[in-house]
Amino acid sequence: MTLVLLLLVPFLAALLVLTCKESRRAVLVAMSAGAIEGAAIVNAVWRILAAGALQCGQYLRADGLTAFFLLNVGVILALVLTYSIGYLRHIPAGRFSSPRWFYSLTFLFVFTIMAVFLSANLGMLWICVESTTLASALLVGFYNTKGAVEAGWKYLVVCTVGIAFALFGTIALYLAAVRSGVNPASALDWTVLMNAAPSFGVTRDLVKLSFVFVAVGYGTKIGFVPMHSWLPDAHAEAPTPISALLSAVLLNCAMYALLRFDTITSHAIGGEFSHTLLLIFGGLSVTVAALLMVVQRDLKRLLAYSSIEHMGIVAIGIGVGGPLGLFGALLHTFNHSIAKSLMFFTSGNVRESFGTLRMRRIHGMARSMPWTSAGLVVGSLAIVGMPPFGLFISEFMILTAAFGASRYLIAILLLVSLSVVFGALLHHFQRMLAGKRTDVPAKLKLLPSDFAVMGVCTALLLLFGVHIPGMFAFLLQRALVVLQ
Amino acid sequence: MGLIEIAAAKALASSAVFLFFTLLVMAAAKRISTCIVMFSVQSAIMAAEILAVAYANKSAEAYTIAALVIVVKVLAIPYLLFRIVRNLKASQDVASSTTGAQSVFIMVGLILLSFFAVAPYARTLRVDEDMLAASIALLLAGAFLMVSRKKALMQVIGLLILENGILLAALTTIFGMPLVIEIGIFFDLLMGVFLMGLFVFRIRDTFEHLDVSKLRRLRG
Repeated sequence: MTLVLLLLVPFLAALLVLTCKESRRAVLVAMSAGAIEGAAIVNAVWRILAAGALQCGQYLRADGLTAFFLLNVGVILALVLTYSIGYLRHIPAGRFSSPRWFYSLTFLFVFTIMAVFLSANLGMLWICVESTTLASALLVGFYNTKGAVEAGWKYLVVCTVGIAFALFGTIALYLAAVRSGVNPASALDWTVLMNAAPSFGVTRDLVKLSFVFVAVGYGTKIGFVPMHSWLPDAHAEAPTPISALLSAVLLNCAMYALLRFDTITSHAIGGEFSHTLLLIFGGLSVTVAALLMVVQRDLKRLLAYSSIEHMGIVAIGIGVGGPLGLFGALLHTFNHSIAKSLMFFTSGNVRESFGTLRMRRIHGMARSMPWTSAGLVVGSLAIVGMPPFGLFISEFMILTAAFGASRYLIAILLLVSLSVVFGALLHHFQRMLAGKRTDVPAKLKLLPSDFAVMGVCTALLLLFGVHIPGMFAFLLQRALVVLQ
Repeated sequence: MGLIEIAAAKALASSAVFLFFTLLVMAAAKRISTCIVMFSVQSAIMAAEILAVAYANKSAEAYTIAALVIVVKVLAIPYLLFRIVRNLKASQDVASSTTGAQSVFIMVGLILLSFFAVAPYARTLRVDEDMLAASIALLLAGAFLMVSRKKALMQVIGLLILENGILLAALTTIFGMPLVIEIGIFFDLLMGVFLMGLFVFRIRDTFEHLDVSKLRRLRG
């Protein structure tokens, strides 16, 4: 029941909000639905921590790993909904691009994301990941401009093809399980697969084949280089709250799917194969994204490439493995989602004020919009991994694990890329922040809700940089138990 | 065994050949509607295959999957695509970047390649080598049509062929996944085609053409 509620609330909210013709009513409905969903998430996480794992019927299941990611969704959803209050003032009332459609599609998107985390079955998992693409494609193309339609189309086609490869991988794993003597009716069940995995040895090649396809498939959704082509477009053209949601939740969601497969593969044929593949994808993503960040001209595209880089870091953390590497990787998904949301929120304010995201045309931000600039500075310091912010801790853990496991090449690659990213952000932002403004930007009055989201993000980043709260560390430990 | 049954068995045993035939026609096709019809034929061949297994094993699950394939892939999706073609009122040309002869040549190469690719697996898995090769050929052909045809609708069709290849791979190796999952996949596919159709109209309205190779504002 706890788990069904998690799915029911966003689904009903998506329907209910469509009946609200006035945008103020839509906001009210959306905020209350968000609050109920938040309470449901806290309740579910609490029960999972008490019971270890919750099962509801054959297809819904939540364990420690789910709980960790549910908390992530809850925090980001709260931030995004709060930020949307201010953002919505700028959405014109079109036929399909009015505030109620925005909220309705957003809740549908959240519904599919929740379904991904709650699926007990790898086939079901695939179906839900595919529906996240379908639910969010219309959000990416929301503004119906040339850029938005192109980005939406590209997102839909590239991700659907990518995900099709993941289906092929899922079928191969299913075949491996059935050939190893698992009952076909339950051979896609996570728990069944985990128990049976050690006996997959006879179908070694099939398991390998399956992981390659799954890594390419879900890797497309994560934005691994070279399957990343959709990601910068989608992030740059989507409405800003959705960019935050894509970067902070959707990428983690795909990473979660890959993590499940990685665990099964490691159990079946040892970690060497899958972890090497993850290290290759991770190293490639980090390096290429870091170099591309130097030459970006658009603020949101810059942030999108930064997301690719951070997903690469997470993949390296998982690939290095060990308790420290995995702990660092999971912590990094959370830290990254907070920091990246903060940066997308400030970029939305920049866009409203300057009317553009071209970084060349933006000058003198520090004088004309001090609070937003402060948010941008905090976000960028956090995102490049400066102490005292949370990402420093998680990146440090991943690096320590890499050096500890004698993976020197990847560790040095990571360090070099991080320095390149630091240089790139410094280069771009000092030009935007400093100087006198050449043209007078439109006055943008920040609402209390805007201050609230920026404050909460900063506080969380600082908190995780100084001390990981006991409850949270316990939750992370529970998540690690699932993966071992 | 009656005469009809023997004939049916013979036809099914060579159904991989029919699948290759649809692929070659698609490679040579100049009009989008030809490709849609061929997609429908291709799905019908697969449906016949599933029906045969269902009849032989008296399996209710297989009958359901066959019904799903017929309803969704043989009828609903082609109907949807034809409607889109009609309402677009645009030219029917597939806008290929390779000539017809080149396309056929490449398609033959892909079919041969898939036979080489599956040979080691077919032996260890003890499955029909022709059918497994056909499934890989469908996968490759779908990907080929997606990259070589410039019309947005052809990308949808390429994707559908790719999806057909995956379904066929699952059918030949383990006879499909559990029914609930299968239904979910079909539902996703239908929604995906629906949504892509929506985007095709949006592309036409905002760009006033349907050539995806000209969608190149977002770069770098």
